[in-house]
Amino acid sequence: MFKSLWENVIRRSGDDVFENIRGNFLFKNLSTKELHFVTDIVHIRDFKKDEIIFHQKDAGSGMYIISKGRVAITVYDQNTSSDAANEKEALITELVSGDFFGEIALVQQNGIRSATARATEQTRLIGFFKPNLIEIIERRPSAGVKILLKLSEVLGRRLVETTDMVSDLTDQLNALKKSC
Amino acid sequence: MMNSAIQIARERLIKTITVILIVTICVVLLLKVNNMLVSFIMAFIINYLFSPLAATIERTGVKRGLAVSLIYSFFGSIFVCLVIMLLPAISHQFSSIKYEFPGYIEGATHLTANFEKDLNAFVPGMITFDLSKTAETAMKSFSMRIFEGLPGLFSVLLQTMILAPLFAFFMMLDGQRAIKNLLAIVPNNLFESALNLQYQINLQIGGFVRARLLEAAIVGAVVWACLLAIHFPYALFFAIFAGITNLIPYIGPVIGAIPAILLAVIKGFPGLEIVYVAGAFGVAQLIDTIFIVPMVVARIVDLHAVIVIIVVIIGAQLAGIPGMIISIPVASILKLTAISVYQHLIYRHA
Repeated sequence: MFKSLWENVIRRSGDDVFENIRGNFLFKNLSTKELHFVTDIVHIRDFKKDEIIFHQKDAGSGMYIISKGRVAITVYDQNTSSDAANEKEALITELVSGDFFGEIALVQQNGIRSATARATEQTRLIGFFKPNLIEIIERRPSAGVKILLKLSEVLGRRLVETTDMVSDLTDQLNALKKSC
Repeated sequence: MMNSAIQIARERLIKTITVILIVTICVVLLLKVNNMLVSFIMAFIINYLFSPLAATIERTGVKRGLAVSLIYSFFGSIFVCLVIMLLPAISHQFSSIKYEFPGYIEGATHLTANFEKDLNAFVPGMITFDLSKTAETAMKSFSMRIFEGLPGLFSVLLQTMILAPLFAFFMMLDGQRAIKNLLAIVPNNLFESALNLQYQINLQIGGFVRARLLEAAIVGAVVWACLLAIHFPYALFFAIFAGITNLIPYIGPVIGAIPAILLAVIKGFPGLEIVYVAGAFGVAQLIDTIFIVPMVVARIVDLHAVIVIIVVIIGAQLAGIPGMIISIPVASILKLTAISVYQHLIYRHA
């Protein structure tokens, strides 16, 4: 109890942000000095329960790391209704503290969000956007390269997953066609 | 769910009002406090000029504070050396102009009298008042005003020369943090758009300021070299004037050339030498139009030529010559803001 009490008194929110960033995959290879630099330029955003972080088809320019709270990622379910007003949302996944989302917008020219993100409880997010990435590349190029390498790794992994999913679906479709 | 939606909407409204209030207070302070706007604009120019250099130094592992201090020490020393070196020349040229000014007025009056005579001979009774007398009185009162107003101008200049570098120092050091703190109170639904808009504006205005200053410096240097080559008096003075007026779109180069050509006419230079003087400015403009504008300036501000003319006219009507100088960056900020608001509305309601 005493430990947690002292932790609350001593630890500032900046320390939490630093720890969150240090624990994130994208910033894994950064030195302590570089991590402090990133901590200084990221944006802390607080969201209430049920508050929309971004809508599907919104212009997007960066990613969010969940510092605390939960975020639901949903897409409009086009099968349920053709009427936009009655469009229902299909839940893709629910993310928790330490997870990150929206990273594709970091490398897109005019990034458009492919899904909606909503806070399902009081949530604190760390926003890392394209201007921040460019600032790091300009002022700390070695840190920028490390982040870009990790970002490419994440995007590559997503591409492989998507390709696997598409080939699975193609197989299923072919099987369905044969059976008909 | 309903309560939480109302609470979110209320919080967003309060945050939006707070941001608007802060920005409004800053703008009012800039406009109302004496000399603050000019000092701030100069500070922004210094900031945009040296920020890329600060980033370059930072890349070597030097901290931002030290990088900015190094830049200030280096360029401060160069500035002091230049002032010490050029001050005698400038003050000599200035006192020489002051000494010779009555002669120039006399020459100009003589010219006007000749022109009046020629015109009356050509169309009798066209001018019913004493043109040369009126022109002489106007010129005398204008020159008196200039020389009387100089101490006041120097005091403003001195204040700006102290305030602008000081503001610029803190802008380069803590500017990003200040912007981050302001963005922190922007409501969540507008945050990404505001961040992007701020970034785009910063990028475009930074590029514009650097390009225009480079352009002014090149034009000034070419004019200086050409005037020196034809041994024209006050070459440095006219070159600095041409460089500064070149910042005014379209009519700036003409304004920059007028005093030197007038001086040549008044001093009674032969016709060919007047052509040489005009040629010096022509060469500078040719280099500017053919090389500098297409390669440097036009790439940065993506505005159509007709739009540029319209905004320059509006700028001139609203705030005179300063209005003309800042009209293009202001128009480009407005264009970016309009695009950002439009995209925000379109995508949000798509």
